[in-house]
Amino acid sequence: MSKSARATEEHGSRVDRAGQEASAEQGRAGEIADRVQGLAAEWAPTLARVLLGLVLAWFGYHELMTPQLWTGYVPGVAATSQVAIALVLVHGWVLLVLAVAIIAGVALRLAAAVAALFLLQIVISLTISGGLTDLTLRDVGVLGLAICLTAGTRQRVMLTR
Amino acid sequence: MRIAGETVGPRGVTVLAVSAVVGILLGVHGWGGRHNGLPSTLGGPGPSPSAAPHGRPASSSATPGQSTQGPPTQGPTAAGSPAPSSPAPASNSPAPSPGAKLSSQSYASYAFQEWPGPVSASAKAAATGLVITVRKHGSGIMVTAGVAGQPTPAARFYPTGTKVYVIEASMGDDSGNSDYNLGDDGLAVTDSQGRILQ
Repeated sequence: MSKSARATEEHGSRVDRAGQEASAEQGRAGEIADRVQGLAAEWAPTLARVLLGLVLAWFGYHELMTPQLWTGYVPGVAATSQVAIALVLVHGWVLLVLAVAIIAGVALRLAAAVAALFLLQIVISLTISGGLTDLTLRDVGVLGLAICLTAGTRQRVMLTR
Repeated sequence: MRIAGETVGPRGVTVLAVSAVVGILLGVHGWGGRHNGLPSTLGGPGPSPSAAPHGRPASSSATPGQSTQGPPTQGPTAAGSPAPSSPAPASNSPAPSPGAKLSSQSYASYAFQEWPGPVSASAKAAATGLVITVRKHGSGIMVTAGVAGQPTPAARFYPTGTKVYVIEASMGDDSGNSDYNLGDDGLAVTDSQGRILQ
């Protein structure tokens, strides 16, 4: 075999090997992507549920423990009044129960729907009093999360019994 | 049990019941401690958030070191109480008496020094939505603290050696020049030993 023919053959086999490696690499990447997608499909709704629950639990707990620090948010009532404190306590209590329901997955769609209504009220109230600000839009994001959970997507780790 | 088309088992009902009871207990605790607020509320009777007028950042309103003329004023007044539309000296009232140490209060970690300066970035952020003015006056200082966009309350006189702190339990309620919740804001003035002047 001539020298040039051998060189051509070697070049050809190198190209073949490179092509096989590239397609194997693509196959592995696709496999990882599929696995990540599968994991996300399986667990993302659960993670969303727990994170929304944590947000509600945090606010509920603090509203119950120190209601006097939250009265400024009560619309239409004097911040220094006892009525404002009572309303904050009721709000905090509802948030806490909703948080537990959402995290545990008890009546999830209903709990998420009630949470969405609460968040909608908060967004409207903040928008009326202060306009569209970073604070308001942050709550819009949480509202979106609550709305997503009303869809009843398949969830892991639910207390159904 | 079925609630709105969803099945809730006995365990679910139990968990919800337990959380409801825990919530009630926490609420009873919160109601009992509703008077353990901040030293002087700056939240006026209005429920709306404060917004600095004309886009002026309320946090930049602390103006230490200015001297003013006029009779010394005494006696702190709650910022939320009715006040004249311009700073006015308070009438004769007892000198502020020292109370508990600020460092021993639950809100001590939320207190940011406003005077004497320099004022930190945190203190500036904490004062968002508030108008705090400190002026040297004779042997002490005159302090005016109120809510941006609302009538300024009467100035108060404090003796030399005092420090002025703004209290903000949560910075998360501030947006731009507005403070959405004034319920967690307050002002504390301490003597040279760190005791809160009341």
